[in-house]
Amino acid sequence: MEEKIVPADLPAEEIPAESVPAEPTAEDILTMHAGEKKSKRVHYSRRYGAVDIVILVVLILFSFCCLYPLWNVLVGSFNEGLDYTKGGVYFWPRKWSFDNYALVLNDMRIWRGYLITIGRTLLGTLLHLLLTSLVAYGMSRRELPCPRVFHFINIFTMFFGGGLIPYFLVLKMLGLINTFWVYIIPNMYSVYNMIVIRSFIKGLPEDLHESAVMDGAGEFRIYFRIILPLMKPVLATVALWTIVWHWNSYLDSMYYVTNSDLYSLQYVLMRIINESSTPTGNGVMPLPPDIFERMNPKTVSLAAIIVSTLPVLAVYPFLQKYFAKGVMVGSLKG
Amino acid sequence: MKEKTKKKFKFTKSKAEVTVMASLGVLFLVVFAYLPMFGLVLAFKDGDNVLNISRAIFRSDWVGFDNFVEFLHDKDFLNVLLNTLGLNLLQLAINFPAPILFALLLNEVRNGKTKRVIQAITYLPHFLSWVIFAGIVFALVNMDTGIINQILLKTGIVKEAVDIKGDPKYFWALIIITSLLKGIGWGSIIYMAALAGVDPTLYEAATMDGANRWHKAVYISIPSIAPTIVLFFILQISSLLNNGTEQILAFQTQSNLDRSEVIDTFVLKYGIRKNMYSYASAVGFFKSVIALILIASSNFVSKKITGQGVIY
Repeated sequence: MEEKIVPADLPAEEIPAESVPAEPTAEDILTMHAGEKKSKRVHYSRRYGAVDIVILVVLILFSFCCLYPLWNVLVGSFNEGLDYTKGGVYFWPRKWSFDNYALVLNDMRIWRGYLITIGRTLLGTLLHLLLTSLVAYGMSRRELPCPRVFHFINIFTMFFGGGLIPYFLVLKMLGLINTFWVYIIPNMYSVYNMIVIRSFIKGLPEDLHESAVMDGAGEFRIYFRIILPLMKPVLATVALWTIVWHWNSYLDSMYYVTNSDLYSLQYVLMRIINESSTPTGNGVMPLPPDIFERMNPKTVSLAAIIVSTLPVLAVYPFLQKYFAKGVMVGSLKG
Repeated sequence: MKEKTKKKFKFTKSKAEVTVMASLGVLFLVVFAYLPMFGLVLAFKDGDNVLNISRAIFRSDWVGFDNFVEFLHDKDFLNVLLNTLGLNLLQLAINFPAPILFALLLNEVRNGKTKRVIQAITYLPHFLSWVIFAGIVFALVNMDTGIINQILLKTGIVKEAVDIKGDPKYFWALIIITSLLKGIGWGSIIYMAALAGVDPTLYEAATMDGANRWHKAVYISIPSIAPTIVLFFILQISSLLNNGTEQILAFQTQSNLDRSEVIDTFVLKYGIRKNMYSYASAVGFFKSVIALILIASSNFVSKKITGQGVIY
């Protein structure tokens, strides 16, 4: 099957652009949109049929299912609490009210949670990148003695672990329980991310390293001065994964922290949502009684959901492209 | 050993520095991964309610497999095992193929802009935390004010409002459906990329030969992305039993415990809330061993099928 379909005597310029096999380069696989453009050109001449419409309807219906729940919450959060309990607030607020937000924004727990979450996200991501990429660099070098041993020590932990309780006891032994550092230190390193970064470093030209060694640079110097700046794309990807993970995680607050001043935003939110479903409500509403009567813990919790989702929604349009790329970088590992 | 090393490598500064870097990772893993594994001896000891850890590990009595036997006789054992396996297998059967189907459908959309909008919308839920997602879903399924019950009542599917959040009957469905909403779009990215890499001439040749859309999907698209599917299936199996705690805890309520209690939440309840360290360690160990068996067998199958293991 060596023969080309195109006759050999045909001048290259006359070959229709579409029929040139698109050699999928790494670049193409990394940037999905480039690939899409190509396939779009191929299908250009086809007409829309019934199947197209069915597919489109299915996809739009699913998109609606993804988007509507958020809209439902947004609408509820702007509705007056007492009125909301009558039901039927689905597409637009029936009785506009900003009291829910007034209450949420006055809730110190939310602000405290924000502070903790922002702190852990920034510091946690920074230290994670530093340690993980440093180890990845060390693991990527040929000079490393017994690479198989190092590799095994790392890989084994991906498949077997001590489980929650011994892990909890180790954290306790280290004095991390009930401190802010329990969010940071145990999450400074990840084997998966190390492998992703390492495979990126391995793709960099070896000459860089050689010439730096010629110039008398040590490995740490090479890492900080040469490799680190070149790693920006993969670091951006891993950073985004880590940021999302830190921002969304709540289990560590639930498991390892009992001091409510140290709860992360998501856990604070979880408590507010759970309180709202108990009939008594949270009972710490610093509001005049006439407003208080019209309040409902449910709509307040909806406002809290919106307040804590806002940062994600605000940055989402900018991040989307990077995230799609990031998954590709990760998949190269396979 | 020493003689061998002397012969084999010249010790250079470069080697030392690289070793230090890689050893930092090992140091981290020793503390946060291998030390807990050592802590599993607790599972064979009588360390319940011994609050001092070193005393629990080193001084308490060996009890052999008593903790495991106790778990097997626990009144919740069958329920917990059923929930853990049931939820995970359902996720594997439903939530694994769903993104593939979604990618195949999305691939049929020719308008680039429509495609991108659908992608942007369906990726979004991935970025919301499970807490937020649970809060959103609770608002939808509320008995009095939620839209889901209204739809069910209006269409006559149910006679009176159902308590989707609290009734254990609906818990598994709740988990599967919310996983689908959150995961389909994001999970499809990798398959979209694989589909984008398929040689367009294949489709053209097929069109010439009179293949319709269905033929092309079955005979070109699916075989082309098969390696990606196999790889992700294996990865999925190797993380079986290990995912979903964040989701399950977010949806768990006191009233749906019958169907929502899984091994992880069981360990949390007994280990951290009730200080029964040894018992909970044993239950956790039980899970780790099942997971390891699953991984070993998937590794074996993977080597048979693709000639490449998951681990090596």
